[in-house]
Amino acid sequence: MSTLHIIPLAPFLFAFLIPLFYKKFRHIHTGWFVLPLPLIIFIYLLQFLPLGGTAFQPVEVTVAWVASLGVDFTVYLDGLSLLFALLISGIGTLVVLYSIYYIANKRDEPLNNFYVYLLMFMGAMLGVVLSDNLIVLYVFWELTSLSSALLIGYWYHKERSRYGAQKSMLITVTGGFAMLAGFTLLYLMTGTFSVQEIIAMSDQIAASPYFVPAMILVLAGAFTKSAQFPFHIWLPDAMEAPTPVSAYLHSATMVKAGIYLVARLTPLFGGQAEWFWIVTGFGLLTLLWGSVSAVRQKDLKGILAFSTVSQLGLIMSLLGMGSAAFHYDVIDGESLYTVAILAAVFHLFNHATFKGSLFMVVGIIDHETGTRDIRKLGGLMAIMPVTFTISLIGVASMAGLPPFNGFLSKEIFFEGALNITTLDMFNVETLGFLIPVVAWIASVFTFVYSMMMFFQTFTGKHKPEELPKHAHEAPVGMLISPAVLGLMVIVFGLFPNMLAYTVIEPAMQSILPGLLGEGEQFYVNIYHWHGLNTELLMTMGVVLIGTALFLNFDKLQQTAFYLGERDPLNGAYDNGLTGLISGAQYVDGVQMTGKLRHYFTYMFVFLVAVLSYALIRTNAFAIDLANTAQISPYMFFIILALSLSTIAVPFMTKRVPAIILVGIIGFLVALIFVVIRAPDLALTQLLVETVMVVLFLLVFYHLPELRKESFKPVFKWSNLLISLSVGAVVTITGLSAHAFSHGHDISPISDYFVENAYALAGGENIVNVILVDFRGLDTLLEVFVLGIVALGVVVLIKYKASGREEV
Amino acid sequence: MTNLLILPILIPLLAGVILIFFKNSKMIQRVISVIASAAMTGISGYLIYAVYNNGIQTIALGDWQAPFGIVLVADLLSVSLVFLAGILGLVTLFFAYQTFSAEREANYFHTFYLFLMVGVNGSFMTGDLFNLFVFFEVMLISSFILISMGSQRYQLQESLKYVIINTVSSMFFIAAIAYIYGVTGTLNMADLSVKIAQLYEQENSGILTVIALTFLFVFGTKSAIFPLYFWLPHSYFAPPAAIAALFGGLLTKVGVYTVMRMYTLIFNNDPIVFQILLLFGGLTMFIGVLGAVAQFDFKRILSVHIVSQVGYMIMGIGIGTPLAIAGTFYFLAHNIIVKSGLFFFAGITEKITGTTHLKKMSGLLKTHPYVGWLFFITAISLAGLPPLSGFFGKFALVIAGFEAGHYFVIAVSLATGVLTLFSMMKIFMTSFWGEEKLPDPSAKERKVGKLILPVLPLVALTVILGVAAEPFFLFSLEMGEQLTDPSYYVESVLEE
Repeated sequence: MSTLHIIPLAPFLFAFLIPLFYKKFRHIHTGWFVLPLPLIIFIYLLQFLPLGGTAFQPVEVTVAWVASLGVDFTVYLDGLSLLFALLISGIGTLVVLYSIYYIANKRDEPLNNFYVYLLMFMGAMLGVVLSDNLIVLYVFWELTSLSSALLIGYWYHKERSRYGAQKSMLITVTGGFAMLAGFTLLYLMTGTFSVQEIIAMSDQIAASPYFVPAMILVLAGAFTKSAQFPFHIWLPDAMEAPTPVSAYLHSATMVKAGIYLVARLTPLFGGQAEWFWIVTGFGLLTLLWGSVSAVRQKDLKGILAFSTVSQLGLIMSLLGMGSAAFHYDVIDGESLYTVAILAAVFHLFNHATFKGSLFMVVGIIDHETGTRDIRKLGGLMAIMPVTFTISLIGVASMAGLPPFNGFLSKEIFFEGALNITTLDMFNVETLGFLIPVVAWIASVFTFVYSMMMFFQTFTGKHKPEELPKHAHEAPVGMLISPAVLGLMVIVFGLFPNMLAYTVIEPAMQSILPGLLGEGEQFYVNIYHWHGLNTELLMTMGVVLIGTALFLNFDKLQQTAFYLGERDPLNGAYDNGLTGLISGAQYVDGVQMTGKLRHYFTYMFVFLVAVLSYALIRTNAFAIDLANTAQISPYMFFIILALSLSTIAVPFMTKRVPAIILVGIIGFLVALIFVVIRAPDLALTQLLVETVMVVLFLLVFYHLPELRKESFKPVFKWSNLLISLSVGAVVTITGLSAHAFSHGHDISPISDYFVENAYALAGGENIVNVILVDFRGLDTLLEVFVLGIVALGVVVLIKYKASGREEV
Repeated sequence: MTNLLILPILIPLLAGVILIFFKNSKMIQRVISVIASAAMTGISGYLIYAVYNNGIQTIALGDWQAPFGIVLVADLLSVSLVFLAGILGLVTLFFAYQTFSAEREANYFHTFYLFLMVGVNGSFMTGDLFNLFVFFEVMLISSFILISMGSQRYQLQESLKYVIINTVSSMFFIAAIAYIYGVTGTLNMADLSVKIAQLYEQENSGILTVIALTFLFVFGTKSAIFPLYFWLPHSYFAPPAAIAALFGGLLTKVGVYTVMRMYTLIFNNDPIVFQILLLFGGLTMFIGVLGAVAQFDFKRILSVHIVSQVGYMIMGIGIGTPLAIAGTFYFLAHNIIVKSGLFFFAGITEKITGTTHLKKMSGLLKTHPYVGWLFFITAISLAGLPPLSGFFGKFALVIAGFEAGHYFVIAVSLATGVLTLFSMMKIFMTSFWGEEKLPDPSAKERKVGKLILPVLPLVALTVILGVAAEPFFLFSLEMGEQLTDPSYYVESVLEE
């Protein structure tokens, strides 16, 4: 156990203390107790940043966990995990600080729950990015899904919160299960769950038939988590969570877990055509779908949710494009395709900063005005100047305007998208030209919704009568966190190379290992002015067309496109769910009818089907009449009478004849025993039958009249068929077993009883000796059963529970 | 030392008989049955230790040696299950004391409970096929009385179906025993293992497959696989929660145990049988979970879930590799713990609200947070989410299934996991979340008090079996090795 192991576990342990703090210090906001933890983790992790320009040395520490299943808790800290861990702890600190002001310390809102979930999430997320073992990663992965669902359902009295929580949980856990299957396939190919060891074997396993299925299953996990089309539908509904949660989980960190996984496994799958097309394709589709959908939203958080979907798609598509880099040499630390990875890492960071701050700002607006509806908001510029300033920075960065960091990463994104069209494999020549086109269109919409949310909120007429609250500027505490993030947007916009050596290069090295020679490093130099190149022209086009569209916003508002805002894919989810329930109820209704005759029908059909399948399949049917006993002539008589009376029973319309017939059957069976010379059995049978008939007649008085039931002929005939088949199958099996038993010379244990009944047990009647000595336990227990029945009868008659005061 | 083997059967038998004479003393009833259960647990705990270190233990009853007399066999599987049965018995008793009327206790509840344990422990330990039938009878009749005592209309209506279906299955058990005795001339399970293996070498041995499947009908009915499970969902809804918990946790597992024993020890090499096990394992888990999706009643969801979970175990047995058997046992142990725990929760919420219908209660998390969170942990463990006990059993089965190339049934099992989660979240989100809505105003203040105590060890176990899985999984792997190589069992039983 090392300090690095403590990092993901500490929040879990700390979570246990939270209810205590909450109870003991009721007047202090619980958030203050939580705040130091992410801060300490953040500061601790800072020491790993490579500042001297040296290459990053990964740290790996292992603790055994479930070693017999290949599951070790190995912490692996390299550039990629460090970047994520810093984001998680850094933004975590800011979010906790923000939440202290956002979530009031009220009696009816259990604050302790909120922070327990939040800490659970933080620990789980740190675990995801620090684990080298895929199964440990999976464990933490599901814990993030779980804590996310709990946070979405924090205000669980609201129907929408429960809906959102259920939806996110179902979608992400389903993806998680698929991912688990994918990890298992990787294990089958390599014999290990360690990511680094699997990557080392990537050449050997690429030809395995499991390779592509494993890839697709793992991607299912990544795509559901990172809200890629068509699984993105859970993310907008996750906005029911308190806004600090949206800022933290649903934009800055958790939804990037899928991105993390794709980046982490790029060394394994990258270079494959399937990987390239799936990751790039879904990424671009998500980018486009998200940005177009965002324009339709009226809720500020809705806009940001779809914007997040879109930006996640952007990063995803970059990772896909960058995976082509494995086929080319890196010259001077740069190649046409590594640029895409650079953009992915850089934008990942930038998105966390500007989107985090925007969510917090939206939270402030919601908090201070009581609404997030852009149709009601307006003119807040003068009323909330600080909020306005922070928003301006965030929105401009999101729209991709200089000098903010979003501009830089968007430029590099365009560069990557343009470069990819020059790729001469994976059939890029056919559809590759679409990549920059889609990228550009999506950017136009991004620009439009950025303008929309900004101008609708801050400019125009202030409409105090439509706002539930009297609008005013937020308290300072609430402004600190978004301001810090806003500041980072500017600082890293102006001085992007501060990040280059410390964060971006080590992360790129983790995503694209093996491309560099000994001692080489990726060469990252980000600057604003590239000259008047295609990328810049594209940005100018975005601004021009975007502005033109935005100026015609009034017309846009009238279109059907704008009037609806629910994602059409939600219909598939909702109908799927109701269909599932009604389908399940149908299946249940068909089987669990409550009628014994249906149950037996199903059971016997199963019996007949399975046994006759086996009989036919193995060709087991055989009759061997040698060695059979002599049949005495009485036997034919008895069997005939027995069969006739059995057949007659169902035709009886009165109880008395039915009881008598059943009695006759019993006595005839006793007669069979007499004929085959088993007097003890015959005697027993006679006694049992006598008692039965007497008992029947005793209770007869209390029984209702036997009602004549009428059934459809189909029912009758099918029942007849089933009973005949059961009889036939049982008989055939018996005959065949008998025939088979004469094909071998295994002597039965009864020989031993015959020899030793007198010699060892001193009894002359073998049956008796078996019953009371050789197998005495059986007899003891059968007597015991009778005793239980006797006592049971007493209880059933005497004890009648009175209502349901018991549970 | 081997004489200890008889005690898990003898103790409850004697204790149950003694308690018949103390009908009216609640104190004596409780003390004796708790002591008996604790003794059973303690002895089987010791037996686990002994078997783990010294190998399989046997005792020949009446000193008639195998294969002629009846032997009891303690291997890792049987003693572990007796141990789990003992633990479950203890917690059930404590739960029953909080919820049962004095009248029910005075009407021989303890006696029938102990007699049920005789049947359960005996079924686990016996090494003789016919003796297994007899223990089944003991179990069936005791369970029938436990399930129907109180004689309420719904109880009688459903327990009648329960007893009729199970009796029919017993008839087929006799028929199957007759077949197998006719073919092999023996009833001792170790001896059967040897002889059946020899007979499979012969020509035209197809009838052995047919006989193996006749047993599947019998044990499948006991363990409630599709389409033989109809006796279960409604009848388990009828009795009080403590009894439903005991049954839900334990009884079907006896059936699963027999399937496991039968198809690892005796018919362990028949591809057709294993195909059918996989097929019906898959169908059982899926159809079962659909039943849970369809229901909106706490206890009914749990009852029909039993079926679905049995499907996983049948699937594991159908995969049949040592890892799969280890995973199956892990899953089985997990399920005993978690399923009974969940039934206790159904009882607790019924105690609070007076109903088990989900839509009639909501917002319980606010009024009873501890109940809510403990339930949550248990529920997600049932759905197989990490890092709880349900995960590791399922995970081992996924690996084993993929290794053996059974991709489709594993995919079904994962889909079933999602639907399990869905149905469990349905309970949590409708009853524990939501606006506070309780059938009567006093429910809000109603304290659960000591009622929560019996679930604590179960919740602790599901957490421990998840977070500290390694020693338990090693144990299961050892068991998997022991079971998939019948020679261990055969040699221990037939050595003398």
